[in-house]
Amino acid sequence: MKRQIPLLIVIILGFMFAVHTFVPHKASVDFYDWYQTWIKAISPFMVLLGIMSLFMVHSTKIKRKVPNWQYSLITLIALVGTGAVGFIWGTQQGTPFMWLFKNVQMPMGATMFSLLAFYIASAAYKAFRARSIEATVLLLAAMIVMLGQVPIGIKISKLIPEASQWILNVPNLAAKRGIALGVGLGMTATSLKILLGIERTYLGGGD
Amino acid sequence: MAKDKKSFFDKMQVLDRRYIYIVVALAIIIPLVIPFNSKTYVTTPTENVYKKIDSFAGRKDRAILMCFSHDASTMAELFPMEVSILRHCFERKVQVFTICFMPAAKPLMDYAIQTAKEEYNVQSGIDYCNFGYKPYGLFLPILLGMGDDIAEAVDTDDEGRKISNLEIMKEIKNYNEMNLVIDFAASAAVYAWITYARARFGANVAAGITAVMAADNYPYLQTGQLVGMLAGLKGAAEYEKLVDVFATHKELDSYGVLQPASREFSKEVLKESWIKLSDIKNVKHKKARIGMNAQTVAHIMIIVFIILGNIGYFSSKKKKKA
Repeated sequence: MKRQIPLLIVIILGFMFAVHTFVPHKASVDFYDWYQTWIKAISPFMVLLGIMSLFMVHSTKIKRKVPNWQYSLITLIALVGTGAVGFIWGTQQGTPFMWLFKNVQMPMGATMFSLLAFYIASAAYKAFRARSIEATVLLLAAMIVMLGQVPIGIKISKLIPEASQWILNVPNLAAKRGIALGVGLGMTATSLKILLGIERTYLGGGD
Repeated sequence: MAKDKKSFFDKMQVLDRRYIYIVVALAIIIPLVIPFNSKTYVTTPTENVYKKIDSFAGRKDRAILMCFSHDASTMAELFPMEVSILRHCFERKVQVFTICFMPAAKPLMDYAIQTAKEEYNVQSGIDYCNFGYKPYGLFLPILLGMGDDIAEAVDTDDEGRKISNLEIMKEIKNYNEMNLVIDFAASAAVYAWITYARARFGANVAAGITAVMAADNYPYLQTGQLVGMLAGLKGAAEYEKLVDVFATHKELDSYGVLQPASREFSKEVLKESWIKLSDIKNVKHKKARIGMNAQTVAHIMIIVFIILGNIGYFSSKKKKKA
């Protein structure tokens, strides 16, 4: 029963949503409206569940003094602190919440993402070698696209931005479309397997 | 046995990566501190977004929706495009709605609106409306619900007002009127808008996306499922330029005073336009173009690194053979 009931819910609702997509009957529309009301009511509990889970995971780490438990402490202090200033003073311009956002979250987020530039430069220098014909083609394409993305590319030659656009519009597009079709077919097959009860791994292992 | 004397390229092959980091840091910092003028050429996908928004100018029965689907980490690329589009809308009287489904995007959305409206006398609920943050669980119900009735699907705005009572909603009902959705993301978030808002309700969809994700969107541009795309910092710089050249264009009147004189998009005007960065007083209006200077130098540095690395690779290969 522990597995049959969830399986039944997934199969019945899965087929109902599939029918809703293709059948514009009133019963189908009413069913979807009913679902929307429920999802609106359930959604806030997801946030609550997320906060509870975060607290449980990190408080356990702090209690057990696992390696790097200090980071967990900072996470919880930041969570409570940011939430508190938001609740007390609001989240509009000029409030401590916005000050924290502009002076802590923004620079920290930007710092983490900008590290990418250093890693890419280092990786390009150490690993981007013309070892084979394929690697050479990739290397040249990368250089053309990089030059095509910056104003100096058009200064060097008008052909560079055009070549860059061609690379993005033809070989890149063909490869991306091939991948998208593969993923789409895979998703359809997996969805059907789930709907028909063949694929059950999402229920978790064991009984 | 005497050791082989290492050549310059041999030494470069085993160069400590910290030297590379220093060079990259300098290549980025110096152009940001000392900006120089570089001519940004505008690509068709950016042009299409601009033209679509501009076609709604002054119309009460048309609006655009901006969905903020990213956090502060990708702000350098996406924030300038958001501010530019908002400035375009405020300048040309295009009604604009904003929404986000990520808690981390909410302060960004507020900050973008505040930054853009500094120079305009626009009012919330009349000229624009911030729908605020909605939990991600409501993403699909709201996205689909807006196809029937926006006021019912979203219900209240960021200030807790009933959407249906707002003046901006007088002639706006669903995607037929709110006919352009622009999703700003560092992910594939725009696909949901393509799949549902575009395919099911015929809404026009555009993307503001980070450069690394841009390549994924070309199939959708080619099919027309995306009406346009702003790709990375370059896309933002292109849009900044379009806003400066057309939407916020000023001309001298008979008294020799600069007066606002917005003009329609024209390829010829764009081709001949040249705006010096030093002529733009507000730094927030040229952030992407200043950033493009750093990106230019960084790209050149990376290309130089690749070339040096390959010269070293081939010279050591030749040495080994000998």
